[in-house]
Amino acid sequence: MNPGAPGGPGVPPGYGVPEGYVVCHYCRTPHPPAGPSCPSCGAALDLRTAVSRSGWLKQPPIRDLARIQIGRSRIQIEGTQVPVADVALDGEEWIYFSHHVLLWVEPGVRLSNTSLAGAWNRVLAGMPLVMLEARGPGHVALSDNHAGDLVALPLAPGQQVWTREHRFLTATGNVSYTWEPTGIWYTTGSGDDRETHYPLGQFGDRFTAHAAPGLVLLHSPGNTFLRDLAPGETILVQPGALLYRDLSVGAHLHLEHPYGAAGMSWRSSFSQRTIWLRLIGPGRVAVTSVFGHTSSLRITGQSPATTQQW
Amino acid sequence: MERVECRWCGLQNEPGAASCTTCGAPLDLRDLVTDSGWREAPRLRDLTEFRFSASVVQVEGELVPVADIALAQGDAVYFEHHVMLWKDERTPVSAMPTQGGMRRILGGMPFVLTLAHGPGRVAFSRDAPGELVVLPLHPGMELDAREHAFLLASHTIGYSFVRIQGLANVLHGGNGMYLDRFVTTSAPGLLVLHGYGDVFERRLAPGEKIMVEPGAFLYKDASVAMQAVQMPVKTGLLRRGLYLAEMTGPGRVGIQSMYVHHHAE
Repeated sequence: MNPGAPGGPGVPPGYGVPEGYVVCHYCRTPHPPAGPSCPSCGAALDLRTAVSRSGWLKQPPIRDLARIQIGRSRIQIEGTQVPVADVALDGEEWIYFSHHVLLWVEPGVRLSNTSLAGAWNRVLAGMPLVMLEARGPGHVALSDNHAGDLVALPLAPGQQVWTREHRFLTATGNVSYTWEPTGIWYTTGSGDDRETHYPLGQFGDRFTAHAAPGLVLLHSPGNTFLRDLAPGETILVQPGALLYRDLSVGAHLHLEHPYGAAGMSWRSSFSQRTIWLRLIGPGRVAVTSVFGHTSSLRITGQSPATTQQW
Repeated sequence: MERVECRWCGLQNEPGAASCTTCGAPLDLRDLVTDSGWREAPRLRDLTEFRFSASVVQVEGELVPVADIALAQGDAVYFEHHVMLWKDERTPVSAMPTQGGMRRILGGMPFVLTLAHGPGRVAFSRDAPGELVVLPLHPGMELDAREHAFLLASHTIGYSFVRIQGLANVLHGGNGMYLDRFVTTSAPGLLVLHGYGDVFERRLAPGEKIMVEPGAFLYKDASVAMQAVQMPVKTGLLRRGLYLAEMTGPGRVGIQSMYVHHHAE
């Protein structure tokens, strides 16, 4: 997130917002106060915002048939269980995506390949090596094939966002895409049994809008919750639950060991530890309620981490 | 008072009915049609009832819906045996052999379907998130469904299967080797499919085409031609090109938005 953008970390409420506009709680984009849904991210605007007592803002699922405008193109979200992003591409506008999310396409839409740098590392990490481009005019529809929600992240010029790998559905052509190692790992076992685990994925995706506003569409495999961390504020989350974060948010491992129960061996007590991802503000973080579990084996090494022994 | 036409199956319903008596579609909701022309299959409300012949089907649940059927005397439904969720102990069942046994086994299709006879209750579920797609078939209709998609059909519907033509279609089509074909002759019938995820339908004009991910194909009128077409793109460093199913009208095409399940089978 651009620190100077409306709603960005450290930016006072209302700063940079045109007169008469309101800022969407979910995508932080200013827009005129009209319509049932945010034109930038599709979030329902006629619902009361749901904030848990612990401070998480629940992202409402995008309503069936809601529309998102980006440039001269339009995205319609269709369905509720396994929602589809139906993109009406205007003129020469284009999007890119991984081939396995392509649901249907009109014959007139031009499909071509986009190669990505770092091919061998991406193959090893199980990431798509080749992306497809779809150029308008015409319709192309994408679906992640899993139950969940679609989350739209409009990016203002200069804005960046970090997203967890394999959550990306599509982005507009004017959003650049890079990927970088997460630097978050731990090992279990030793010798031939040594195994390296990447609870946040080996790589993370970084998207940047440059001269013009762009859009990134993610698939969240569960319900999605948002939180704006103040500077220095921390929260522990399951590593696999992180959906996206502002680049201003720091992240590292945190190992928490419970107080040993009477009669529990040292080794058993050690395996009861929890592997957390410790997030440090300022900035926004989003988590999804479906995540993979971390290993219960004894940790033999890890990336920089804080620990808590109760 | 005017009767209410069901926008999904076209049946005329009594005034004031909340759902269609033939397919269960809500009658008090507008038709949901996307900007690109796909119509959403109606989400059947929990505990909705609809009828075929003298039997009653009740839909139970919404995430992984169950079709719970009270079969009347003289009625029967057929199905793949593993989709039965529960049944009354006294509900009779019998085997329904299909033609082309060895070829079906080789194609991973059930060799024998099961018939449940009325009177009695029996319930079905495909044990995955999705929705029931209720397709009342009028006399003289032919409809093709992807293999392992059909939940049940009434005994008045003739069942056969058609082998997908062309090696490219078999190898790259993502639809397996066979399509289930359901045919009505002089009597109407009821066909219920399970669509994984959300289901959308489109009616293609003669010659109109749409390119569909093969795994997403759910059903089509027999009049719609289906052909695997290689797209001029690669899907990896050394991988083969991308294949899509080119559907050519006239007729209806149904697709589902979740299809990994099929690839995993």
